[in-house]
Amino acid sequence: MDAKTSPEDFALFGGKPTFDSIRSTSNLVRPEFDRFLAYSRLFFDGDRFSDEGRAQQLLDARLAEFHAVRHCVSFCSGFWALVLAMKCLALTGRTEVVMPSLTYRRLADVAAWAGLTPHFCEVDPVRLSISAETAGPCINENTALIMGVHPIVNCCDAAGLEALSVESGIPLLFDSVESVYETVDGRKVGSFGRAECFSMHASKFVNAFEGGYITTNDTALAERLRIMRDCGSRDDGTFFAPAMNARQIEIHAAMALAALDDMPDQVELNRRRYYRYKTGLANVPGLRLVPFDERERSGYKNIVVELLDDWPISRELTLVLLHKENMLCRPYYFPALHQKTTGYPTVWGDLSRTEALAKRFLTLPCGYFVSEDDVERVCDCLRAIHVHGAALARRVPEAS
Amino acid sequence: MTKAASLAIFGGAPLFARPIAKGQQHFPAWPQFEAMFRDIFERQYYTNHGPLAQALERRLAERLGVRHAVLVANEFIGLLAAGQALGVQGNVVVPAHCSIATPLSLDWTGAKPLFCDVAPQTGLMTAELVAPLLAGRKVSAILAVNPWGDACDLHGLQALARENGIPLYVDSSQGFGCEIAGRPLGGFGDIEVFSFHSDNILGSCEGGVICVQDDALAARIRNIRSSYGMGTPVPVIKTANGRMSEAQAALASFNLDHYTDYQERNARMFGLFRAGLAGIAGLGVRVPSGVSQSNYQNLICHIDEAVFGMSRDDLWRVLRRENLLAGRGFVPPSHRAYAESHETTADTLPHTEHYGATTIELPMNQALGEPDAARVIDLLASIQRNAGGIRQRLAEMA
Repeated sequence: MDAKTSPEDFALFGGKPTFDSIRSTSNLVRPEFDRFLAYSRLFFDGDRFSDEGRAQQLLDARLAEFHAVRHCVSFCSGFWALVLAMKCLALTGRTEVVMPSLTYRRLADVAAWAGLTPHFCEVDPVRLSISAETAGPCINENTALIMGVHPIVNCCDAAGLEALSVESGIPLLFDSVESVYETVDGRKVGSFGRAECFSMHASKFVNAFEGGYITTNDTALAERLRIMRDCGSRDDGTFFAPAMNARQIEIHAAMALAALDDMPDQVELNRRRYYRYKTGLANVPGLRLVPFDERERSGYKNIVVELLDDWPISRELTLVLLHKENMLCRPYYFPALHQKTTGYPTVWGDLSRTEALAKRFLTLPCGYFVSEDDVERVCDCLRAIHVHGAALARRVPEAS
Repeated sequence: MTKAASLAIFGGAPLFARPIAKGQQHFPAWPQFEAMFRDIFERQYYTNHGPLAQALERRLAERLGVRHAVLVANEFIGLLAAGQALGVQGNVVVPAHCSIATPLSLDWTGAKPLFCDVAPQTGLMTAELVAPLLAGRKVSAILAVNPWGDACDLHGLQALARENGIPLYVDSSQGFGCEIAGRPLGGFGDIEVFSFHSDNILGSCEGGVICVQDDALAARIRNIRSSYGMGTPVPVIKTANGRMSEAQAALASFNLDHYTDYQERNARMFGLFRAGLAGIAGLGVRVPSGVSQSNYQNLICHIDEAVFGMSRDDLWRVLRRENLLAGRGFVPPSHRAYAESHETTADTLPHTEHYGATTIELPMNQALGEPDAARVIDLLASIQRNAGGIRQRLAEMA
């Protein structure tokens, strides 16, 4: 391994990059090809490639079982699944959805498609997520819905949000895209609130090429979502609106089924990568690995670190250095949603904590393309950045 | 199968052992499917405007003679992105003789349909029918529809839209490969959207492509689709996640490679049916209208109940029991379906309703060979000959 012993060894200054191809933060797990083929028989033999075919029906049943919930309804993407669930659950005649600002960059657009105005709330400083304490002050006479969004490591306080929902009478919908495998207080994610939403984009925990799903114990809601994803067409030939075509297709469902079979293997590999990071970063000063709460079940998918006050260079320069090393690391939910310009109204008050937190975290390479050795090399590189921090910052004064 | 008594609906064995669906349902044979997907698994590039999607966009743009072809997850998202990119709001003129999906797409951009009737001879929208709807009313766009491998009066509509200073966009969901005077669909109006649902000649399970000539409009559409393949960043009101995966792009590319075979087979089967059904009283085979070349993907017939001796709906029920999963065109017509699901009342649009009540779409895909076509023709002839008796028995059963 080429240890970096001087600033010149960094790729930004002409050194050899740590990796000769990209290591990203996308999961991109490749399911077993033969399993994908076997599930593809479900639609191939029936000549039916969309419109609630056999693969999709099996997938919905498997996912409902996995999340220990009565219903699962799958969609072409998590984005549109969430739009339709918001449409269903928002209280009629009200306009605002309470959501964190420190979250998925498209979540405000999702709300806008659902015809709602995002009302951004603060996050809990430890969990980096919405909580009853941060959402509560944003609830007013216009509030139609609360979005409980799980952060990318561990979960938000789902029970606290459920209590807030009961107390305020405002429905609670979870964005659980990053928490497929997790438990909260020992209970599987999937049956909290009125419904939960997941993505099966290739970069997520379950790779379906593209796709998403909603889980719920509410039979009427599940039925309504099935109609809404199918242009509002009911079995009896009558129609319902709002609706769209957001159907999942068979080939994506077959992929998701294969990915589900591989899930235990994936979690084991993720866990090993996480432990390598834990060991490797233990002796890198100025960095804090956000730990998984091992009292709960976890998928160990994402690796998030906080740059502490004694980290020698800015996050921006850290990211530039890492990108040049072929590590496609990302700032954690930056800019926060309220800091972006939108073509629709948004509501927010003092979000200084979010603004401070949005500057401190970044995600490190993870997923299927990252080996345990790769993790070592990421940690070595970060250690070298710490050692040469002052010299690196001097060489790029404008970036630091 | 010559006697009405042996029809499956009366307890006889169905004409086909397996259901024959309508729609094209083109899919590679298993070994080719396996090879295509092994390739994707080796490349490990699953979505996000991958190499297959990029290559397909280039091929489609070239083939359709348009500057920009933007792939999307399905046609609905295509219509929605098109509506948003054009900024349609308020009234949009739409033909009522179409799928509910078309007017439904307007809900999402804050627009609402102003339904227009269709020409009695063709079942298609014309500039003459649209013009009166524009008079004395604020209308933000015309959304035309090309159903069934036909094309509506796009030249006339384009001129009308231009005169009124409003955009024309086109739902060509069933029109891939069709041509008007030798010019392929895709480049008409400001935006044209095709569907790659597997019912269509170029299928990818689901999918679609937005065709645009104007660079600024294309940039807005790419930014609405967002993330990878966004090109030049331009401001948009909001993004609308709608990527086409590499799985979909692989299937669409395969079917594009085989387009000519499919089109020729459709044309041949259409010829067989047209000749074979010609002698059946009260059953007219629809000849593609408004196009110099059709994809012949939909085998559409119209039933004149008084002459045929039986209603379209009775015929449809009888055929389904024979495992011929025929369709009924647009039932209910979209202005009725729309009124059912929105706080509005449906106007009476006589020609649209006539088409809605008389159309039957016969299955015509690879599962149906030429000898099968002959059996379907015989069955229809036999049903017509025995229509009176069948109708009576159906009435007794009900």
